[in-house]
Amino acid sequence: MLPNLKVENLSCVRSEKAIFKNLNFEVLPGQNIEIIGSNGSGKTTLLRTLLGLINKEEGIINWLDENNNFNEYRSFDCFYQGHQMGIKNMLTVFENLKLTHNAKGMNVEDINKCLERVGLNKTNEMASDLSVGQKKRISIARWLLKDFKIYFIDEPFTALDDRASDLIKEIINELNQKGSSFVITGHRSSNINATLIEI
Amino acid sequence: MLLQGTDPQILTQPLLRFDMKSSVLDWLGIILKRDLIIAFRRSSTYITPLVFFLIVITFFPLALGPQDSLLSSLAPGVIWIAALLASLLAVESIFSEDFRDGSLDDFFVSLEPSFILVFAKVMIHWLITGLPILIASSLAAIILYLPLESFVPMILSLLLGTSFMSLLGALGAALSLGKSAILSAIIVLPFSIPTLLMGTSVVTFSLNNQDYSGFLMIMGAMLAIGIPLLCLLTVEALLLNYD
Amino acid sequence: MGSPPLFYRWSSKIMPWLGILAIIFLSVGLFWGLLIAPTDYKQGDVYRILYVHVPSAILGQSIFMFMAACGLINVVWRAKISGMILKSAAPIGMSFTLIALVTGSVWGKPTWGTWWVWDARLTSTLILFFIYAALIGLYSSIDDKTKADRAVSILSIVGLAIIPVIKKSVDWWQTLHQPSTFTLTSSPSMSPDMYQPLLLCVIGFYLIFAFTLTLNLRNEVIDRERSKNWVKQIFVN
Repeated sequence: MLPNLKVENLSCVRSEKAIFKNLNFEVLPGQNIEIIGSNGSGKTTLLRTLLGLINKEEGIINWLDENNNFNEYRSFDCFYQGHQMGIKNMLTVFENLKLTHNAKGMNVEDINKCLERVGLNKTNEMASDLSVGQKKRISIARWLLKDFKIYFIDEPFTALDDRASDLIKEIINELNQKGSSFVITGHRSSNINATLIEI
Repeated sequence: MLLQGTDPQILTQPLLRFDMKSSVLDWLGIILKRDLIIAFRRSSTYITPLVFFLIVITFFPLALGPQDSLLSSLAPGVIWIAALLASLLAVESIFSEDFRDGSLDDFFVSLEPSFILVFAKVMIHWLITGLPILIASSLAAIILYLPLESFVPMILSLLLGTSFMSLLGALGAALSLGKSAILSAIIVLPFSIPTLLMGTSVVTFSLNNQDYSGFLMIMGAMLAIGIPLLCLLTVEALLLNYD
Repeated sequence: MGSPPLFYRWSSKIMPWLGILAIIFLSVGLFWGLLIAPTDYKQGDVYRILYVHVPSAILGQSIFMFMAACGLINVVWRAKISGMILKSAAPIGMSFTLIALVTGSVWGKPTWGTWWVWDARLTSTLILFFIYAALIGLYSSIDDKTKADRAVSILSIVGLAIIPVIKKSVDWWQTLHQPSTFTLTSSPSMSPDMYQPLLLCVIGFYLIFAFTLTLNLRNEVIDRERSKNWVKQIFVN
């Protein structure tokens, strides 16, 4: 099986300090990568470098294309979620899903199904009335809009109660079965089935 | 992501791939729809610049006295200065909210080419500040005794000028993202001088029954060059915030 | 140029020469212009301020073009050194623009009877001053130096595109000013006796710019590389 993403010798230097050095890993379909490190260790920088938000300094980031060749640029959609979840307070729960690019062509039932899966029923409530935990659930519902090949999620398990983190683990498992991979970051291992990378 | 010399993407990938065309329009539609809904639910976004514009206009007769000949000769400059300042008032908010809540990351990761995002944001800024100002300018022209014949040139010049201001403002906002709101206005103001000069000239020339079409054409040309150039530079400026 | 220690060593050799040349050109040019050149039949001796005013106005503009070129290089090729050059040149350009404004105003008082005239060239110089102020203001608002360099580079590119438009639009104004005194392309309208010392002064001003730029750039390099070994070696010994 060919990996969707192959990273070779990736290094990053910020203000004369090496943040990470000579990283090598592969993201195989249905398998996960967990990047572990303390605050300020460069986890977010690594995710952003992988996705091209930051210019890489050294190394190769190879993406698989339709013809099974590896390319320096990405030809398929990835899902990226940073620390902030991109939830708009002035939109309803439903609109927070509907008014994103990934919901293109989806009807009301499809979107409601995604929201139900994460336990959100009051879809017409304004997001500003929700608690942080519920907003997090909206952001998880966004994962389900489309089957992405790779999900890049920055610290999905921070500030979550047990039920929510169980939900995330379940969903990651489900999506893994469909062949999607997760690249997630965290302070410590979250006990999902993943290859650990410490930086 | 454009304009980066080291990025192989720019060499290997055409700006608009054929199958991407529909997707780009989708993006534009979704960003416009989302932001307009938010703007309408938060009415201060479009009311504040409008009220500011009218208050500044009202200050001039109060400060200079209500003689109609004086006011009508000053009207082009007064309306233009007020419009310029009002359109820069809300500039800081163009990207700040999307940057804070992380939606901007999402755009940059999945939207190709990224300047579509900037273009959409500029359009929204114009729709919620430029357009209300354009409508209110007729009111301003009446209370400043601007002759009726000058209304059309005034509207036309404001249409081109406020659009250019939104473009410039977006760059200022991107460069001073997360800094004070006034900074973005200050770094942009010196660059707005040609717009101010030509905008006022259009209205003044029409007051004197002179041909003003040349100024409008230059303003149009500035807009035509400004859209690609400023959008690309704004993308560069936004990406700085991820480094 | 790419390596900071190399630049540091190379520049310390070239700096004295730049300084000496600047002094030679300026002292000859100013001595000639202020004392030997003939008195203007209309303005009298007042016109002699032109030997300071014109070179600083020329420098104010060409330093901006130089900066914008550095900005373009910095944005497109990510050359860090060009960002540092941009940063080092900005205050120099702003100072020359300020000198041009002040001397222009001093010149204006006896010639036009007021300290300030809204003449096309003075106005565009004033706008140029504001643009310098915007660039420096933006620079000082960003803490990370590399980021600040890039931000200022982006803004200077806009300046490069818009300055011709500003000049053209300001030119439409009616002006009290004399026609351009100094162009490189057409023959000068001044008498050669007045013109030649001006040329020397302009060259002298460019040399001053080169000298101060190198000085600023050296400081900048040392500041940014202060944790490196080569800097420590220079300053410990």
